[in-house]
Amino acid sequence: MASEPYDVIIVGSGAGGGMSAYHLTKSGLKVLMLEAGRQYDPTTETPMFNIPAQAPLRGASTPDKPFGFYDATVDGGWEVPNEPFTVADGSEPFIWWRPRMLGGRTNHWGRIALRFGELDFKPRSRDGLGYDWPITYDDLAPWYDKTERLIGVSGAAPPRGLLNTPDSPAGCLMESAPPRAFEIFYERAFRDMGIPVIPMHGAVVTQAMEGRNTCIFATPCGRGCSIGANFQSTTVLLPPAMATGNLTITTDALVYQVDLDKVGKAKGVSYVDRKTGKHHSVTARSVVLAAGSGETARILLNSKSAAFPDGLGNTNGMVGRYLMDSVGLGVQGRFPALENLPPTNDDGQGTQHTYVPWWGYEKQKELGFPRGYHIEIGGGRRMPSLGIGSYVADDENLVGDALRDKLRSRYGSGIGFDGRGEMIPNDDCYCELDPDVKDKRGIPVLRFHWKWGDSEIRQAAHMVQTFLEVIDRLGGTPQPGFETDGRKAISKGGEMIHEVGTVRMGQDDKDSVVNQYGQSWAVPNLFVTDGAVLVSSPDKNPTLSILALAWRSSDHLVTLAKQGAL
Amino acid sequence: MEDDAPKPYVSKIDRRTALTWIGIVGAATAVGAGVVVYSPKIGSKPEARGYGTDPNLVNPAKAPWPRILTADQLQTAAILADFILPASTTAPSASTLGIPDFIDEWVSAPYPDQVASRSKIVPGLSDLGRKVLKASGADRTTALEALQGTPFFISFRKLTVGAYYTTEEGFKDIGYIGNVARVSDPGPSEAVKAVLERELRKLGL
Repeated sequence: MASEPYDVIIVGSGAGGGMSAYHLTKSGLKVLMLEAGRQYDPTTETPMFNIPAQAPLRGASTPDKPFGFYDATVDGGWEVPNEPFTVADGSEPFIWWRPRMLGGRTNHWGRIALRFGELDFKPRSRDGLGYDWPITYDDLAPWYDKTERLIGVSGAAPPRGLLNTPDSPAGCLMESAPPRAFEIFYERAFRDMGIPVIPMHGAVVTQAMEGRNTCIFATPCGRGCSIGANFQSTTVLLPPAMATGNLTITTDALVYQVDLDKVGKAKGVSYVDRKTGKHHSVTARSVVLAAGSGETARILLNSKSAAFPDGLGNTNGMVGRYLMDSVGLGVQGRFPALENLPPTNDDGQGTQHTYVPWWGYEKQKELGFPRGYHIEIGGGRRMPSLGIGSYVADDENLVGDALRDKLRSRYGSGIGFDGRGEMIPNDDCYCELDPDVKDKRGIPVLRFHWKWGDSEIRQAAHMVQTFLEVIDRLGGTPQPGFETDGRKAISKGGEMIHEVGTVRMGQDDKDSVVNQYGQSWAVPNLFVTDGAVLVSSPDKNPTLSILALAWRSSDHLVTLAKQGAL
Repeated sequence: MEDDAPKPYVSKIDRRTALTWIGIVGAATAVGAGVVVYSPKIGSKPEARGYGTDPNLVNPAKAPWPRILTADQLQTAAILADFILPASTTAPSASTLGIPDFIDEWVSAPYPDQVASRSKIVPGLSDLGRKVLKASGADRTTALEALQGTPFFISFRKLTVGAYYTTEEGFKDIGYIGNVARVSDPGPSEAVKAVLERELRKLGL
């Protein structure tokens, strides 16, 4: 364990914080990691083979466990006890998922690990909308390679050269498990429509990999993985960082402020111990914020001083701005063609084995919306859940053997199509400190503002039409509950749990908070390595990019530290 | 007693747990910090506490809230659950798997969805109990068959089917063969692929 004086304090232990700790400690720097949640050990706390009958309410979703009893999330969800936030009057809905556990959201995430493509870094150059990043795909590509090799990503396939859907170089990815019956099935409809279906990139170890266990092709990844066969910060990044002897982790440490010295450099942070309520200040030569886009912005906004009366690095009012999420919605279908298949084990590798990348880059004008979406498709004969009764319609008066027979044939004949689409940053989506509301420790809370743009609404409507067409081609029936009006169909802000932006990187301090390495323009020994630095929110799920950017930024921090520049 | 008269349902919940719910043992009702306490009330009675935001997932404790069904309502739940899923030649009846206790756990829970479900299920069980608990076999069957299609029956059947098929016995009956560690995932068998191809051809795909 390292002790004071630390070289670096890292706030947060998820994708950004975990990767920063991994690289900084491996490079010989002494690191203190502060995590707001409790200590968490997936090797002993993951309910791997538990079945619903062992859980209260058969594992159904409740306000205490919004993604179901067995979801890995600890002390969190859409509400965190004692940690409120507000949504401004007149705003569209915004919701905010937070866990309070070591490893953060990497414990329960969907393990979808897609690279951003070259167009994703230069959206404004492409169509005049949104903003360009200060880096290109080529700048980040080597870090994607390293990240995929480190965390273990499946989805290897011969290079396809699809536009803005990067192929990983040979040796970066492992092969996915073969498509399951429902994946073979839906692929034919997309093929008929001229839309490619390709292996999903999933952060699951599907083949022998040094130092890692291989997937056992059972138990849902969302519970976490006690054998470390998928990527969690707590199984993949933090153990090797601890093994260097250079890392100290303090849990239940709710950081609320970056402390500055007399010359305006960061000298450490202040936090409240969640258990005792006591305030502490710790010091280091540099500070890395990776608390999640919302919390990182909140810490900066709450770090007020004579030099920064509106919050640290917020002289130009950029902190909290350009908050983004993914566009998301789903339609379920039922397919008579899938009834009466012989028994088959569809547990698979946790992530989808295949998916549909966005196919319309070259016809956005005719489609009538500027940015695209990919499709995540779930189905098969997975472990039955409490909702399995919905395989029988309300007006089917079936009981006894007739009921059993009907359930047996229909079980697994449903497929869910979910779109995840790019959102263009806009001036109406941001967070700020609520002028009135404080949490129970007296720390001002975030107030969110949200408004989807027309581009997202039209994209959402297109998703629904695509899913309905695919369901129809496959001889299926869409299940009630979907909306064709994009405004009604679209997810709530924050609902996809891809909230990014708020502390974006850029070319200079006029329109960004940090440089291309996540280094604060205002305070050079302060870095941000979470999703807050993202300039755009492509359809690709952000975690892999957060990891790659965090590694690149941490490497820059190491270089500066070795030069004595911090 | 007629041969087809229902045998009394014997709860699968042990006595000590039941005493805990009514506050005689007490220890398990202590709930730590971080528990969200829900405000919805039925009449003037506040809801019990849930299992909190950090329950033990590997060895889950029994749901901590007190159960509210009366003995008659529980017996009625057993009769209706076994009307929906009686024993088949290969699978046990719903009551054998303790489904009536699950119904009690569900309608007694303090969370919003379950509180809403309670207002449908509990009066339905009381009404049905008056018709079936002391009825002859034929009258009981008539009353149960007449119930089909009502909102109460639809809700109760969803819960019964969901609770039944989320057990090991239910997995076996419905044909779920997963939840076992495997060295690799070979994908679907040739037999599965053959059926798929036949179906895809029918669809012109």
